[in-house]
Amino acid sequence: MKKDIRNVRNIGISAHIDSGKTTLTERILFYTKRIHAMHDVKGKDGVGAFMDSMELERERGITIASAATFCEWNGHEINIIDTPGHVDFTIEVERSLRVLDGAILVLCSVGGVQSQSITVDQQMRRYQVPCIAFINKCDRSGANPFRVIDQLKDKLGHNAVALQIPIGLEADFSGVVDLLRMKAVYFDGDKGESLRLEEIPEALRELAQAKREQMLDAASMFSDELMETILDEKDVAADLVIAALRKGTLARQLTPVLMGSAYKNKGVQLLLNAVNDLLPCPDDIENKALDMDKDEAPVRLTSDPSAPLVALAFKLEDRTYGQLTYLRVYQGSLSKGDTLINVRTAKKIKVGRVVRMHSDQMEEIESIPAGYIGALFGIDCASGDTFVAPGLSLTMTSMYVPKPVISLMISPKDHKSEINISKALNRFTKEDPTFKTHVNPETGETIISGMGELHLEVYLERMQREYAAEVTAGAPRVAYRETITQQAEFDYTHKKQTGGAGQYARIAGRLEPLPDQDFEFDNQVVGGSIPTQFIPACEKGFRKCLAKGPKMEFPVTGVKVVIDDGASHSVDSSDMAFQAAARGAFQQGYFKAKPVVQEPIMKVVVETPTAFQGPVMGSLNQRRGMIVGAQDEGALCVIESQVPLAEMFGYSTVLRSLTQGQAQFTMEFLAYKQVPQSIAEELEKKAAEQKKKVA
Amino acid sequence: MLTPTDKLAAAANRAPAALIVMKERYIAMLKNDLILHSPVQYLGGQSADVLADGQFGGVLARAGVGKTALMVQIALNSMLHERNVIHVSLNQPVNKTNLWYREVFGHLARQSNLPQPEALWESLLPHRFIMTFRAEGFSVPKMEERLTDLVEQKIFVPRLLIVDGLSFDEPLRDSLSDLKHFARLYAMRVWFTIRTHRHEDPGPSGVPKQLSDVEDLFEVAIQLVPVGEEILVKVLKGLTLPAEHAQLVLDPTTMLVKDRSA
Repeated sequence: MKKDIRNVRNIGISAHIDSGKTTLTERILFYTKRIHAMHDVKGKDGVGAFMDSMELERERGITIASAATFCEWNGHEINIIDTPGHVDFTIEVERSLRVLDGAILVLCSVGGVQSQSITVDQQMRRYQVPCIAFINKCDRSGANPFRVIDQLKDKLGHNAVALQIPIGLEADFSGVVDLLRMKAVYFDGDKGESLRLEEIPEALRELAQAKREQMLDAASMFSDELMETILDEKDVAADLVIAALRKGTLARQLTPVLMGSAYKNKGVQLLLNAVNDLLPCPDDIENKALDMDKDEAPVRLTSDPSAPLVALAFKLEDRTYGQLTYLRVYQGSLSKGDTLINVRTAKKIKVGRVVRMHSDQMEEIESIPAGYIGALFGIDCASGDTFVAPGLSLTMTSMYVPKPVISLMISPKDHKSEINISKALNRFTKEDPTFKTHVNPETGETIISGMGELHLEVYLERMQREYAAEVTAGAPRVAYRETITQQAEFDYTHKKQTGGAGQYARIAGRLEPLPDQDFEFDNQVVGGSIPTQFIPACEKGFRKCLAKGPKMEFPVTGVKVVIDDGASHSVDSSDMAFQAAARGAFQQGYFKAKPVVQEPIMKVVVETPTAFQGPVMGSLNQRRGMIVGAQDEGALCVIESQVPLAEMFGYSTVLRSLTQGQAQFTMEFLAYKQVPQSIAEELEKKAAEQKKKVA
Repeated sequence: MLTPTDKLAAAANRAPAALIVMKERYIAMLKNDLILHSPVQYLGGQSADVLADGQFGGVLARAGVGKTALMVQIALNSMLHERNVIHVSLNQPVNKTNLWYREVFGHLARQSNLPQPEALWESLLPHRFIMTFRAEGFSVPKMEERLTDLVEQKIFVPRLLIVDGLSFDEPLRDSLSDLKHFARLYAMRVWFTIRTHRHEDPGPSGVPKQLSDVEDLFEVAIQLVPVGEEILVKVLKGLTLPAEHAQLVLDPTTMLVKDRSA
């Protein structure tokens, strides 16, 4: 493994569904000689793209789990994480961005900046990932890369600067003009492998000059030297422009835009050059960990391979020969035979095999130095765990994990499946923090929850395929919850005298609505009316009530409990008595505090040909959706709406039939909002029936 | 005899109904509060509208003077009266248009010391529909087609239509006449922003050139004129400001209409 950190790039490829990022990755691997044949995502040869290693991925033509791979280009080592585009699998995108230093934002030259691109862009902003943009599919009918650049500016607020212009478009797309070197570049050979440089065609010369000036203008903001050269009207060297563009890109103040068609093998090599030239090396990025011994004070990590190790496990996979853990080493280096500490569990781990991943194939290596991504075998950990050298107590900042919004009851068809299900669930929950599972203690049903219908569907299929678990799934259920809307007081005494030691506890105080938080406990008891040793028992009692709301048995959130008075008995008071009193007090105050049921509202964005705008809006309207707006984009129209998740089941089928399969939609969690009265009544009825059944 | 569980369930059944009424009352109270403080009342009294059904109104100004801000105030006033508004914006994405509403609403709420503005905001949103077009492909008939879709399927039936960003430098007479007919048919009032240019002389009737060709289609026209640090609200036609509010300006910090003497 080469050790010059400046020649390392850890990049991700993020984009909207069907923008062609898996195809692009495939081409990158081909040109960097990591693979020797190219296959299409939904190709006729049935092989599927290289990065889509899961059987299911190849079948559906989508990338579900991100696969890590590496390649070499012009003396630079590039680690690539292929990320899924569907919003249901966003945790994968988030994880990848967490460990990446830079990214390629792939955009479709027809579809432009679509809803998912906006989500991905927000994620990149959250993790401060510098990016370059690649406008793909320039060969498609309706392609217009300049419109996409305008959208990058308007919709995403990027300072997007074209480094190329297309030579021809749609079916006539034949190459690009490189504005840095002012040359026309064509991609010859069966697979576009040989580059031919020529003079810029006459018809494009004026446009190329104008766009180059725009590029130089933007780049000169980041280099005084370049600015002076331009003002002095001297020849501008490409290296000088590249250095300025790189500076702007690293500061996330400039987004260089390249273009091409991965499917038609055009423009990929220039994109790789741009990755080397413009995206950061691990040293350019400041990574911080939190020192657990110093009250989580931030510590800057250095990419020095001789410093003590700090590494983050960002992805787990279950292989036939055990758990494979993907790691990014931030500091020091990780070698075979090393002893590591898992900071979360404080357990010591001995490193066995160290490998470098190339989609589902692997290559055994001696060590992973700082800045690199690799994988370990046979260590037991969860995704997001930090590993350090003995003596350190650092943890990488935790990743943002959204809460699940949808759940499903599953049951095994036979005994063998039952065992396999538990194995599968154990694995999936470790791999994916947005996928949760629990057993309903009353009904004994196993419930799985996640970020969307497709998210759960994929796990159900994986259970069947990978674990041979035959599963029956119930109808998906929405994660409703309860909250209170006004302040209410309680004063409850728990008293029991049934022979033997009695129970006595009194708690008084109030419940208050607490927007944007789950729970807060405020102890304002003075004068020892509740002895200090019983205060934790009070809190515990209140917390226990949150799991199942008294109104409809949904989890309770947004409640602040303030206790300010109470009473105890020298003999009969105990932790148990105060817990029971807290439960009683909560019940007493809860109904006075006007509880309501809330449901998850999703932001649903539909992209449809304009001809189907009416029916699509109608379909959203029928689903209790509120249409925020409709954006006319020429042939396409983007409708943004807010729809309760409960109404969105099976929407993809409805949308397909409404629009002859020409529309697509994305859905992501927006907020919890109060359910309308009629729906609340229905839910109450259902809850009552359920209760009867259980009884 | 009711068991404690039954009693609890009965209480649970009763509680929401009472709550809904209270919540609605509370929101109505907040709305009234804001209506009383709405700066648009200076233009049209306490009613929601300066215009009647089928009428056209225009807000004329140079770029960046506050046409959209004034439009959004007119729209919010209509939404507060629970009258649906379609805001057609040319060249501005939905999010940006929404941001205008949030900003202006925020200023209004602060100015009126409104408690819990979020609750009111949520209740106003269903009365607004933003529709955006790219200017290059836009035509009035195309917009009419989309509006007809909405109205006929009863997805959204607007009482007020706001057209922001339409270029009045091109000949528009035929399209606007058609739209006028459409507005009468569906009992809509329509406001337009009309961009004027700095160094252009007014037309023969003293109104800016952009309006002069279609002036007869407009019942109301208001011009925003920057004078020093102030932006004066000048009525060109169709309105008589009450004597006590004869001098209206846009507050340069909030872009809300205010009485200069106040």
